[in-house]
Amino acid sequence: MADTANKTLDPRLNRRGFLKGCTMAAAALGLSETVVPKMVEAATSGQRPPVIWMHFQECTGCSETLLRGAHPDLANLILDIISLDYHETVMAAAGYQAEEALHDSMKKNRGKYIMVVEGSIPTKEDGIYCKVAGKTALDSLNEVAAGAAAIIAIGACATFGGVQAASPNPTGAVGVDKLITDKPIVNIAGCPPNPVNFLGTVLHFMTFNRFPALDQLKRPKFGYGRRIHDHCERRAHFDEGRFVEQFGDEFHQAGYCLYKVGCKGPETFANCPTARFNEMGVWPVSIGHGCIGCTEPAFWDTMTPFYERIPDVNIPGTGIIEDADRLGTQILGVTAAAVGIHAAVGIGKRLIKGKSGSDES
Amino acid sequence: MAYEKKKAWSILLRLYHWAFALSIVALCITGFYIHDPWTNTVAEGSQSFVMTWMRFIHFVAGYVFTGAMLARIFLYIFGNKWERLPEQLPVTPRNIKNFFNTLLRYSYIKDDHDTDRLGHNVLAGMTYVAIIVAAVFQTISGFYLLFPEIGTWEVYGVMIFGSQQYARYIHHLLMWLFMIFAFIHLYLVIWNDIKEPEGLVSAIFTGVKFQHKT
Ligand code: HEM
Ligand code: SF4
Ligand code: SF4
Repeated sequence: MADTANKTLDPRLNRRGFLKGCTMAAAALGLSETVVPKMVEAATSGQRPPVIWMHFQECTGCSETLLRGAHPDLANLILDIISLDYHETVMAAAGYQAEEALHDSMKKNRGKYIMVVEGSIPTKEDGIYCKVAGKTALDSLNEVAAGAAAIIAIGACATFGGVQAASPNPTGAVGVDKLITDKPIVNIAGCPPNPVNFLGTVLHFMTFNRFPALDQLKRPKFGYGRRIHDHCERRAHFDEGRFVEQFGDEFHQAGYCLYKVGCKGPETFANCPTARFNEMGVWPVSIGHGCIGCTEPAFWDTMTPFYERIPDVNIPGTGIIEDADRLGTQILGVTAAAVGIHAAVGIGKRLIKGKSGSDES
Repeated sequence: MAYEKKKAWSILLRLYHWAFALSIVALCITGFYIHDPWTNTVAEGSQSFVMTWMRFIHFVAGYVFTGAMLARIFLYIFGNKWERLPEQLPVTPRNIKNFFNTLLRYSYIKDDHDTDRLGHNVLAGMTYVAIIVAAVFQTISGFYLLFPEIGTWEVYGVMIFGSQQYARYIHHLLMWLFMIFAFIHLYLVIWNDIKEPEGLVSAIFTGVKFQHKT
């Protein structure tokens, strides 16, 4: 098995690294290790699924995380099990050559290729805000999606619009599933997502010929089925009411729960506490910073201020942006004043008229 | 002048009222704690599960609140004449008249109280309907926060609120609505109790209101 692996795969990827990558993906998927041989078989069958990777409004952070993992085996594995026919930032070709590669692959593999989308798609003004090779992102998306077997949207931008879609969303940026509705779509959410979730999805697709089970927001359940908070190592501190009050205070040093400094773990679905990052067993909360909820829809609008629990209230048309509790207290104060005036008028009237309401009339 | 006792509120309505009122008090206090836990357990391993208890009380009170809300919705359909929905809304000429009459009465322009109704005045009735609608949203967001992975709540939660965080935000804002409502409600009930001979406050305990004998 191992040697078969090395015939089709990059020789730099050794057997151990390869199996390790597959096992990591299987573990992330929540599959038993008995499927690892099946996965290895699929990954080494030589039938590498052609992948066309499109970049729209984005920072390429997602590609960077995939390719520059601290664990080179993972990156190699991803590049080796798929046939990356088009990827603007990684491919050697440029200009017309690149365009040709794209069209060749689209023609040759029509109906078979996987389309990966990184970045959001601007829709305002017919999408003129993002153009590649003279075509708008909107047109490229529709063209490439038409021949795709399936679509993987990677990153906050391609899934839910990302920072470009943050209010007031000047370019009308949206995620892929707002525009394409007739293809299977998986959302690998996160800014950037954990490479394991992308790899797990691809391996699942290759092994079982379908995508893994998805949640309501099309995120694979193996990676996004559970809240951060329900699997966090600081949860005991939360339950017992021990909180960091301020970054750097004694409670922070003691490793207490980050809830009061705005940790969004209770409302964010992701496997960060279990999958972790950089093969070093770290994730934000483990190093003392709260989760910012990057795998959730509209996180720039709903998870900010990052160091508060809930967003401020924004009353449209008035320019009022205020903390909910401060606003609530103010409204309650105005109500109390109104009630006071109302009662005073009643008492005043009664004193003048010397008569109470309708009861004795 | 003589008064006669008239039955206005069924036992279920009175039970609903107090379950609703008391659960709201508990939910606002524990909800505030959940939002901004004002204690900090310093001694570790001290068996003080403050947050856990607050959340537990919140959820138990949440079920009471939900039960009360469902009882009120039941009464809107199957309750007595004064409890049913059409009586609460300005949908008949009699109710429209009462609505304006109540506005004038509350602004001290007019003094006479409509005597053709034992139930809520239309302004109050409408407000209570709005509060029950808010309660429906509060319940859906609450259960979505509680059971985010369970199919039904996930489907409706995402459909209505889009995400956990947004549900939490709405849940929090609605808390303020309930608090402000409770404040105004208390004031107007006492105001009415002073001005009219009905016995509004005792009626929610006994179900009986007083009217002039005709
Ligand atoms: C008048 C009714 C209610 C009020 C005023 C209220 C208030 C609150 C508040 C202020 C929060 C904190 C949210 C934040 O972080 O800002 C909260 C959280 C929560 N509420 Fe309610 N709530 C009510 C009804 C309910 C109901 C009916 C349920 C359903 C069981 C419910 C379940 C929850 C849950 C699950 C949370 C999240 C707690 C956590 O896990 O951290 N609530 N509530
Ligand atoms: S999701 Fe985040 S990391 Fe990925 S491309 Fe968009 S902005 Fe960059
Ligand atoms: S640190 Fe964040 S995720 Fe962890 S228990 Fe506290 S609130 Fe939950």
